[in-house]
Amino acid sequence: MAERYELKQKEVWDGNMAAAHALRQAQVDVVAAYPITPSTPIVQNYAQFLADGYVDGEFIMVESEHSAMSACVGAAAAGGRVATATSSQGYALMVEVLYQASGMRLPIVMTVVNRALASPLNIHGDHSDLYLGRDAGWIHLIANNPQEAYDMTLCAFKIAEDERVRLPVTTNQDGFLVSHTAQVVEPLNDEDAYKFIGEYKALNPMLDTKNPVTYGAQTEEEWHFEHKANQHKALMESFPVIEEVFNDFEKASGRKYNLVETYKLDDADVALVIMGSAYETAMLAVDEARKQGIKAGLIMPRVFRPFPYNEIAEKLKNVKAIAALDRSAPMGTTGALYNEIAGALAANGQSAVLTNYIYGLGGRDTTVEHILEVIKETEKNAKAGKRVTDLQGFINLRGPKLSFN
Amino acid sequence: MKKITNLKEFACTPDRFQGGHRLCPGCAHSMIVREVVNATDDDLVISTATGCLEVCSAIYPYTSWDVSWIHIGFENAGAAIAGAEAMHKALSRKGKLFNEDRNVKFVAFGGDGGTYDIGFQSLSGAVERGHDFLYVCLDNENYANTGGQRSSSTPIGAHTSTSPRGRVSYGEKQRKKDITMIMAAHGAPYVATAVPSTKHWKDLATKAAKALSTVGPTFINALSPCTTEWKFKPEETVEIGDLAVETCVFPLYEIEDGHKLTITYRPKQKLPVEEYLGRQGRFSHLFKPENKWVIEEWQKEVDRYWEYLQRREEAGV
Amino acid sequence: MATPKEMLTTWDKVQFGAVLPSFEDPEHKVRSKFHSYNYSVADWRVEKPVFNRDLCIDCDFCWVACPDSCFIVEEVENKRGKKQAKIVGINYNLCKGCAVCVEVCPTPIKSLLMFPEYVDNDEALKQWPTKDKK
Repeated sequence: MAERYELKQKEVWDGNMAAAHALRQAQVDVVAAYPITPSTPIVQNYAQFLADGYVDGEFIMVESEHSAMSACVGAAAAGGRVATATSSQGYALMVEVLYQASGMRLPIVMTVVNRALASPLNIHGDHSDLYLGRDAGWIHLIANNPQEAYDMTLCAFKIAEDERVRLPVTTNQDGFLVSHTAQVVEPLNDEDAYKFIGEYKALNPMLDTKNPVTYGAQTEEEWHFEHKANQHKALMESFPVIEEVFNDFEKASGRKYNLVETYKLDDADVALVIMGSAYETAMLAVDEARKQGIKAGLIMPRVFRPFPYNEIAEKLKNVKAIAALDRSAPMGTTGALYNEIAGALAANGQSAVLTNYIYGLGGRDTTVEHILEVIKETEKNAKAGKRVTDLQGFINLRGPKLSFN
Repeated sequence: MKKITNLKEFACTPDRFQGGHRLCPGCAHSMIVREVVNATDDDLVISTATGCLEVCSAIYPYTSWDVSWIHIGFENAGAAIAGAEAMHKALSRKGKLFNEDRNVKFVAFGGDGGTYDIGFQSLSGAVERGHDFLYVCLDNENYANTGGQRSSSTPIGAHTSTSPRGRVSYGEKQRKKDITMIMAAHGAPYVATAVPSTKHWKDLATKAAKALSTVGPTFINALSPCTTEWKFKPEETVEIGDLAVETCVFPLYEIEDGHKLTITYRPKQKLPVEEYLGRQGRFSHLFKPENKWVIEEWQKEVDRYWEYLQRREEAGV
Repeated sequence: MATPKEMLTTWDKVQFGAVLPSFEDPEHKVRSKFHSYNYSVADWRVEKPVFNRDLCIDCDFCWVACPDSCFIVEEVENKRGKKQAKIVGINYNLCKGCAVCVEVCPTPIKSLLMFPEYVDNDEALKQWPTKDKK
């Protein structure tokens, strides 16, 4: 039996410790993980919990991230609760197995600490790894601070294991900015956290050897499409389950999460779409902008995949100009959030002016002033009723102005 | 450990790997898998790397397995079985096993691609961490499933589609990697070599039974003569395997605890390597006068290795 | 196409996660419709092995060497009460005609011989070589 960990009502945790405690409270049966900056402390903290008797599951210290996810898939198919943690290069290394995991409909939870992808090598936070795994068939939850890193990880288990979903889930937090920044976190105690998540219900477990099953069959041209369509449907229809879990979490903790988070958006003319730690910086910029008479607001998909395009379009109905801020190098086109928002607006016959900003790559600092600058730029488009600024700009980039149209 | 006595008794074991799969007629993989799976009466959880066995035994909507089985990818048979084995340990400790009364054994199958090359890291990691499983390498000395490309298991002089014989080339230039010794160097409690054969059926079955009953990671390298890529008639599979043993090209031995080596079969009369090479189309070009030196190299290498094994067995180190 | 028409289902009826159960009745070992045991690879072969029960000595070499688990065995007791496997037939649905069984059969006149597919088994037994014809 795992020992109970006495937690205070308010703890001071960084994002990594918050995620590690959430994994501990979920009583994961097998964690197979490999250390990589900046998610290493999750793995280390978990190992310390194990060494001190707070964890009675297995912890496989694999030899690479590819093997980490492979072992998770093997363990999940065997029939138990499974989790892991990684970042950028490790995430990229295991990308192949992410598709394999979601295709087999295994409810694995992964806490990803978002970090830039090489080359050049960079250990700091940006969303390149988050964008890399977009199409792998995993549900993606976004956490902006250590409290949310903890909360989203607990919710992830409940969402993944719901029989109407049965898909793997990733929780994302910015490298160093959230993972290594300590803030006040109000955790649930061990009993409440486990009660919220519930017991693991196995589906087609390999270890039930009386009913042997075959995982990972090959489907060629006669079958592949049907299987992928089925999986896509499960993702598209997981919104009600995610909302249910968020409602249950509100009852357990008092904190309410939504598919789409907004800040002062109701009467906004100008909206910024931004995810991660910079969302909170942007909140301060919005307050400052409002003081200066600009009706600005924020919107963020709490759930990045499946993408709630209709909800987002609905909330942006009355906004005149939108700027989508992407924390990843778009490499040859407009950024991912820009594309998703453009799709959402087009699907709903809406026509706000939409521009794209690239910011914060490799942990580049993005301040309230920088975002206020973006709000002012976007307001020009709102006033003109059409795009008078550049299509794609760069925030806080050293050198002559770079932009694309 | 299941007692392996004689074939007549062993043949009473109900098969747990069934026919109806799409392996080539005469494929040695299947002979090896059937014997290994029958070498224990415990329940099994099997993982397989992408390759001939995996692709042919699990084509949706059909499966040829009577036991739980998983395929994830080419390089992760070792990691997959490690995960399943760890889950078993965790559930056992928590008292949450699905069937308390059943013993479960973990077996991973990989081709030479999924063992020697792309799957090497995952296998090495799983063995190093000491998971309790048996890994069987189905060694047909090339990437047969994708049309016979070379692997690090391809022996020198062999014709494969990426090391073909041609006007200026005699085929594969590198030696076959010695995976069995590498696995022994990991300190695995038991490693062995084997062939599928009617003459040596008991050798393979006993080694599999021994490996399955040994606690910790065990490894068997099974030579799998490939009728399609080695270019011989399907009915000759067993004969080619026997020739590999009689010429000492593929000696049968086992190593316990990483150091105690025992040769499990000594041919009464060691045949020259031409007997083995001459039967396979993939070596036919070596019999041309300009390539004869490759056969001489073969003979030297086979003799040297056989001598080394015997001396090591004698020295008991 | 490899899938028989009756097994070809629609996207809403595919197996969850493409996971295939081996048995529909695990306790009585009744294999499911997803098991290849219920599939036929008979059309792969142009010649088939014919089994001559009278000449067979039940060495079981054919059973251990067959790559397709074609040999049907029956558990019997020998004179000393030990169980042994008696070969009773060949599952022709699973046989690909590789002829390994014929190669490994050790009896002086083989108990397994290959015949063209279209030859009736009883006819084949009548044509079996005898001691004089070598």
